[in-house]
Amino acid sequence: MAAGVVIDFVFERLPELWLRTGEHLMLTGVSTGAAIILGVSLGILASRVARLRGPLLGATGILQTIPSLAMLAILLAVTGKIGVLPAIIALILYSLLPIMRNTVTGIQGVSSASLEAALGIGMTNRQQLWMIKIPLALPVIVAGIRTAAVTGVGIATLSAFIGAGGLGQFINRGLALANNNLVLLGAIPAALLALIVDFSIASMLWSVQPRKHRNLSPHLRAVLRGLAFSLPFLIGIGGAIAYVSGSGPGHVSESVFSTGDRGPKSRVVIASKNFTEQFILGELMAQLIEENTELAVLRRFNLGGTMICHGALVNGEIDIYAEYTGTGLTAVLKKPVLSNLDTLSVVAREYRDLFDVEWLKPFGFNNTYAITVGQGDARVHGWEKISDLTAVASNLRAGFTSEFAERSDGYPGLVKAYGFHFGKVTDLDPTLMYEALARKEVDVVCAFATDGRIAAYQLKPLLDDLRFFPPYHAAPVIRRQVLRAHPEIRQVLDQLSGLLDDITMQRLNYEVDGKKRTPQEVAREFLKSNNLLK
Amino acid sequence: MIRLKEVSKSFDGGRSYAVKELSLDVYEGETMVLLGSSGCGKTTTLKMINRLIEPTGGLIEVGRQDVASQDPVFLRRSIGYVFQEIGLFPHMTIEQNIGIVPKLLGWDKDRCRARTLEMIELMDLDPHAFAARYPDELSGGQQQRVGVARALASDPDYLLMDEPFGALDALTRDTLQQELLSLKKRLKKTIIFVTHDIFEAVILGDRIAVLHEGNLEQVGTKEEVYDRPASRFVAELFSKPFKQLAAFKEML
Repeated sequence: MAAGVVIDFVFERLPELWLRTGEHLMLTGVSTGAAIILGVSLGILASRVARLRGPLLGATGILQTIPSLAMLAILLAVTGKIGVLPAIIALILYSLLPIMRNTVTGIQGVSSASLEAALGIGMTNRQQLWMIKIPLALPVIVAGIRTAAVTGVGIATLSAFIGAGGLGQFINRGLALANNNLVLLGAIPAALLALIVDFSIASMLWSVQPRKHRNLSPHLRAVLRGLAFSLPFLIGIGGAIAYVSGSGPGHVSESVFSTGDRGPKSRVVIASKNFTEQFILGELMAQLIEENTELAVLRRFNLGGTMICHGALVNGEIDIYAEYTGTGLTAVLKKPVLSNLDTLSVVAREYRDLFDVEWLKPFGFNNTYAITVGQGDARVHGWEKISDLTAVASNLRAGFTSEFAERSDGYPGLVKAYGFHFGKVTDLDPTLMYEALARKEVDVVCAFATDGRIAAYQLKPLLDDLRFFPPYHAAPVIRRQVLRAHPEIRQVLDQLSGLLDDITMQRLNYEVDGKKRTPQEVAREFLKSNNLLK
Repeated sequence: MIRLKEVSKSFDGGRSYAVKELSLDVYEGETMVLLGSSGCGKTTTLKMINRLIEPTGGLIEVGRQDVASQDPVFLRRSIGYVFQEIGLFPHMTIEQNIGIVPKLLGWDKDRCRARTLEMIELMDLDPHAFAARYPDELSGGQQQRVGVARALASDPDYLLMDEPFGALDALTRDTLQQELLSLKKRLKKTIIFVTHDIFEAVILGDRIAVLHEGNLEQVGTKEEVYDRPASRFVAELFSKPFKQLAAFKEML
């Protein structure tokens, strides 16, 4: 990109960048603050009561080993909420170990000579703690706090997966849309933020260590100390200002911290998972509802996967998102893959009974898995259907998403149904998968039937001649409670029914993935060309 | 005065005694040296006086008051203590270190500061040069002078000194011994001084209490102890330097 384009790209998104930075600082600030209070207290307790030391350090150590996404998913289940609350709890739990361990280490490192003297001259336990142990352990404790804060800034980027906002929003959106500029727009400020936060805590420590600045003139010393001490607070206030000024009504971006209705209008919350097609479907539904009803729409896009969307829907945190029949059947209802069955009617009935959720009419396309090869290979070898690979499979290199490699309706089931193994299977990120096939680094991938890159990279989806894959028809799922309150939503969304066949969806996906246009734009254009939007 | 009456201390529930039925009176203004080799119970005895260690049995009075009936924190603040490991607080300046007990006692800032500077001068150190320094910027000898100043800052009547010069080199030790000697003449404190060094005991002690394996072998002035040793142990203890001197001469 030319410099001008980069500047435009950033400049357009400045208001949101400002807001997301504010959110990010609030997430890290609040969680680090709470973790300091909790971690230092537990550390003091553990250093005093030897019996508790092992269990406490062990427990926080185990917390630390839980992968971030798993932690977010667990907290989502425990709190029953998406958004800021589980994100902050996760960040606090991750920050505990370094702060607590360093508090214990710091206090235990205080020399026995100092401790004996403190006791011998007549200090109470409390005085020994606050006048001797804590000040002497402070550099070690602060080192732990710095570790916690810097990792916190990093982990907070993952909070976007459960709709907690922050700079991770850009990163996730960029990953989902294969847009590196967006990834960098989140990653670079996050890295800078980590450095700034680290520096501010270090400067605060400097300000409370008289020995470090005794050579300064008294005047300069007072000014610098005051400044250094208040730096973390100034940054926190800056974050709060960014958040408040960025999220007011009338702004493009809505903050995830805002709760409740802003006006007299009722509101529906439309969500999406974290890939391109979901953004487009979410926009299509959102724009139609905005156009045809009095309802305000809050978009909570880019949630980290099926279970997070489903959990949020069941908990009433979101009202509508687009789900796939096959996914509902296997991933949510945990039912085995059943061919020759009307999957939609099964999931519709089960969802109604179990979750009080309604499946509306499908959009039309079937985004099933498609075992896909290069068009060149297909022509040379005459490959048309999956069975054609049986003889040569052991010589082929496959690249699958990790989800496909594991799911019963993925590779393990495929092996059973078709009776062959591929020579080598590599787990690949969905974005990398298509490129790896185009570059002939793998021979076979598990594409999504509607992915725009199938056409763009000249790939060939093979026919599922044994009908192994269940249908993945996409349709809006909506809480029946919302539907009862606003029955008009059904008619509005039914307008999309059957309008999007595989080829159309591929094309829309490619507009975003390949041509780097925004999902809003692509959705608006599609609705206009179908006369659904003025 | 400090009075110990049949004081015992066992660390293992009575199977063995670090200090056994020890009785000792230390009079106002005198310096009592507890002399003995390591493990004889001298430091244990000292620490029982300000309740850093609780006795298993017996009675200890400081200024006619039973220490067991006093709050250990207030008791310790009223008795100066000089530690073998010096134990200056590394994050505090010399001024803050010396002023710590007055601060704990709630003296106001001006009084604390005046007293601290007075103490630094008393220790033959220059207040302007030393007040704002930190302990690790001082030599070992200077550090222990500050340690003594800290113990004396609140002007306590009693001073407990636990091998305070043990970690210093011989030359510095000599100097500090002489300084302490002149100091105690001026200040008239009641001092209990623990050492394993017989020379130090003879130089500093108005009276010497010889301890051996938890028992008090003998108490008396240096002349009494040297001229009329109460036990074989005391006699050998005081004859040893002469033997060493003879051996030393032979080697040259």
